[in-house]
Amino acid sequence: MSAATATAAKSASAPGAANPRGPRHSIMSRSAAMLIMGVFTLYFLTPIWWLLVSSTKTGGQITGTAPLWFTLESVPTFLANLGNLFTYSDGVFGRWLLNSALYAGLGALLGTVIAAMCGYALAKYEFRGREAIFNIVLSGVLVPATALALPLFLIFSEVKLTNTLWAVFLPSLVSPFGVYLARIYAAASVPTELLEAARLDGSSEVRTFFTVSTRLMAPALVTIFLFQFVAIWNNFFLPLIMLRDQVLFPVTLGLYAWNSQISQIPELRVLVIVGALVSILPLIGTFLALQRFWSSGLGAGSVK
Amino acid sequence: MRAHYGKATAAFAIVSALALAGCSGGGGASETEASATSCEPASGPVELTFTTWVPGMDKVVDLWNKENENIKVKVQTGPNGNSGTYQNFFNQLQAGNAPDVGQIEYDALPNFRVQDGLENIAACEGVADAQDKFVDWTWGQVTFGEEGAVYAVPQDSGPMAMFYRADLFKEAGIEVPTTWDEYAAAAEQIKARGSYITNFPRSDVNWFAGNVWQAGGQWFSSANDQWEVNLTGDESAKVANYWQDLLGKGQVSTLPSFSDEWNASFNTGQQWTWVSAVWGASTLASGAPDTAGKWAVAPMPQWEDGGKAAGNWGGSSTAVLKGSKHPYEASKFALWLNTDPEALALANELGGLYPAAKSATDLDAFAGGVDYFGGQKIYEVFAEASSNVDPNFTWGPTMTQTYTDVSDGFGKAAGGNGTLLDALENGEKKTIDSLKSQSIPVKE
Amino acid sequence: MMKVTRSTTAPAPALGAPKTRKAKTTGAQRRAVFLFVAPFGVLFLAFYAVPIIFAVVQSLLTVERKGTFGPPRQVFGGFVQYQQVFQNTEFWESVGRVLLFGAVQVPVMLGLALLFALLLDSPLLRGKKFFRLAFFAPYAVPGVIAAIMWGFLYSPSLSPFDAVTSEVNFLSAELVLWAIANIVTWVYVGYNMLIIYSSLLAIPTEIYEAARLDGASNLQIAWRIKIPLVVPAIILTGVFSIIGTLQLLAEPQTLRSFSSAISSTFTPNLAVYTTASVPNYNLAAAFSVVLALATFVLSFVFLKATQRKVSQ
Repeated sequence: MSAATATAAKSASAPGAANPRGPRHSIMSRSAAMLIMGVFTLYFLTPIWWLLVSSTKTGGQITGTAPLWFTLESVPTFLANLGNLFTYSDGVFGRWLLNSALYAGLGALLGTVIAAMCGYALAKYEFRGREAIFNIVLSGVLVPATALALPLFLIFSEVKLTNTLWAVFLPSLVSPFGVYLARIYAAASVPTELLEAARLDGSSEVRTFFTVSTRLMAPALVTIFLFQFVAIWNNFFLPLIMLRDQVLFPVTLGLYAWNSQISQIPELRVLVIVGALVSILPLIGTFLALQRFWSSGLGAGSVK
Repeated sequence: MRAHYGKATAAFAIVSALALAGCSGGGGASETEASATSCEPASGPVELTFTTWVPGMDKVVDLWNKENENIKVKVQTGPNGNSGTYQNFFNQLQAGNAPDVGQIEYDALPNFRVQDGLENIAACEGVADAQDKFVDWTWGQVTFGEEGAVYAVPQDSGPMAMFYRADLFKEAGIEVPTTWDEYAAAAEQIKARGSYITNFPRSDVNWFAGNVWQAGGQWFSSANDQWEVNLTGDESAKVANYWQDLLGKGQVSTLPSFSDEWNASFNTGQQWTWVSAVWGASTLASGAPDTAGKWAVAPMPQWEDGGKAAGNWGGSSTAVLKGSKHPYEASKFALWLNTDPEALALANELGGLYPAAKSATDLDAFAGGVDYFGGQKIYEVFAEASSNVDPNFTWGPTMTQTYTDVSDGFGKAAGGNGTLLDALENGEKKTIDSLKSQSIPVKE
Repeated sequence: MMKVTRSTTAPAPALGAPKTRKAKTTGAQRRAVFLFVAPFGVLFLAFYAVPIIFAVVQSLLTVERKGTFGPPRQVFGGFVQYQQVFQNTEFWESVGRVLLFGAVQVPVMLGLALLFALLLDSPLLRGKKFFRLAFFAPYAVPGVIAAIMWGFLYSPSLSPFDAVTSEVNFLSAELVLWAIANIVTWVYVGYNMLIIYSSLLAIPTEIYEAARLDGASNLQIAWRIKIPLVVPAIILTGVFSIIGTLQLLAEPQTLRSFSSAISSTFTPNLAVYTTASVPNYNLAAAFSVVLALATFVLSFVFLKATQRKVSQ
């Protein structure tokens, strides 16, 4: 029913027995291909593996033992490290995880709804200034978010709102790229007849959007959500310049702060490593689970 | 529907308010006079925030919090000043939400002063009277020599002396140098034995400044309402040429300071001396544990035979930052932190601080012999050095930038490109440019 | 329904419904449009448009003060700050540095992504799903954390590959830029690979069969058919990579704890941050404006140039 399943089905059929894509291939080129992919698998996974292994070690063991393999006491050490991570400095790490979930999770969720509404209106309604708005949005895509961080900081200083949740949360809601994608998806996946039928049934425009159109746009919305989630999660400049109070930090800024203090407080090294692992594992899991949305959505963005 | 319109209008109103706030400019720069304002206690309980990077400071503050129900202090830790905390302070000052109390090194104080980032706490209870409690030159650093002004409370200092490997000098039959000439001669002999007399710290420009300080030089001065920058005066040139000579002959190494390799070279006897500050004692003890008991401390080598001059490297103050609503409580805390014997002892134990308070010499921690230095009472040497530090050395208003510019050049000089003096000349030029770009009056 | 949604990935869309049926716009619809557009419009104004205007205003101001410790006062200064920007060698060195970085890193990264996508799309490979997941996994690692991880891996004393890092110092002044390039590549190759791969999947298989009947080899098909058809995807990834390159901040800023070779003005954004912390907000605002403009122009030109090439 969706673009995602369509492509997924197609990719699943590709290496099948009745391969439509050509005859058999020499062992040479097969092995060459496998070799390239094998080598790069090591390249991509070794750092993550190292992080996993290192988080099961004490400070001394990180340099003193085999770097890419576990020690005999791995499990208890890992648990002890985890315990330290979540109790150090009154358990501020837990707060950081929550903050990140709030900034990126809730921010992306709201941002997606907002972008979807705007993109949908641009795609499905005729109104004056439509093209102008779309062009402004498009240029917004090309203005780097980091160039805005400093002026945003100065503005928030004027209204005394720096060092608050809002200072990071509110600017994160805006995603011109999300509007751009939403417009493409809405144009392609919401048939105009359906809207007219809904109008004849007496459904209000807003209700039609939330009950009918969003359902049709669902896979696209997931893509927009993921995009914005990553953008907020990765945004470093804005929290760096806005936030003073550790309790408000997202996890990336918190780990950065710990990392910059290692020379004074060496025991933080272990916490940084374990903290990095704890903060990325759930993400890797979610990303991989939702991977099909990435592929399908991204393709659409480029084709148009 | 109408309700929705209402909300939208409200939202637009907020936006235009933001826009107006934006266009009104101002940039949050207040135009308060430099004079001390009144300093009254608050009526109710107060919570202060304190940003520092000294390890263990939270434990010291716990002592305070136990005794002061109504003035609670919350500690926030950050990276070393120049590695991030100062940047944060400036941004927070701009935003009007800086911590009440912050750690600021002496060399950065003028920078904060120029940006109007410090409260003048001279009128706060006990502050003006505290002058006698601190080593003279540190007091000069926090008042800028102004009458009726105190911008911070001295915390610690870094009087310099020479750490040396007593065993190696004895074994080799080389006299422990007391002048820089002897030091250069010893460098040659030590090099002949395959070791180095010391490591030239190419990125620690403040170490170099400490040497210029000892030689009687001045990098910055202010007269007639304008700054004068002089990184290349006679004394600076003398120091630069001296080290350039040792560098050129390959008699000093150029490892990155405080790195693992640097520690290793001390730990394996590659380095025979380290002209450093008092806090270097704990750096050595943790970085070069295998050489315990073999080190000793002597006064800095002198430019003139029989001289006693000492330089200073590092040291911080505890400042009350602009915008604090509770300067009275904040300065009370800052005074306690830097004069209370219990607090000073704990800050030394956990953070390795050598207090700027004169009473420090009475503390047990500084009275006895130190095992790492073969039982020598090393703090007597540093106390003596501290009293010989020139009280009139002045830092410039953009030291972070000056350090960066000079250390870039030092790095090149250490690699054989240009000289240390070239680096100072370039640093001077860039510092003047930087002052001009901020409209800070400077003599050209 | 199927037909409509499929068109989101098909290069030749065959929409089931006529796209623009001009229905008379009613008052209810106008209100709906307003409701749909207003939230984004307000936020965009407040957090995109106003900051840009504000940055421009700030960049036209300058600071005045009297005496050695006179308090700063902002006054209108015209283009004084821009004059400073153009005279600031460190800033332009940092721009040159990221351009060099981009000129090398972006093609390498996109080349690798294209190679992987083609291999994934070829019949040569087994375990495609595994490779896709493995290569994409680093994308979940935020720049700061990736830089911390690689910082440890590069470090001469802490690295598990100390046999290599004790010989080659990746954190030295000569190599640190490429050490950062490696981190960025590590994070983003998988993501770009997926974009290109998904547009390869959207190519109808009939095209290949026709080519095969003409006797084209796999390599020829890849070169003559697949690559030209995924050019739009590569352009998209190219634009985002260029924007990303000019914005480099998190990785170098984090690596500063590991390497003294990264100066405080290593990338343009670091220069903005450092200048803001001097503090010299007016100059920093001017840097921001110049940087935003440069990014905009560069990605716009790239987009236009490549589009013309494709349509020819």
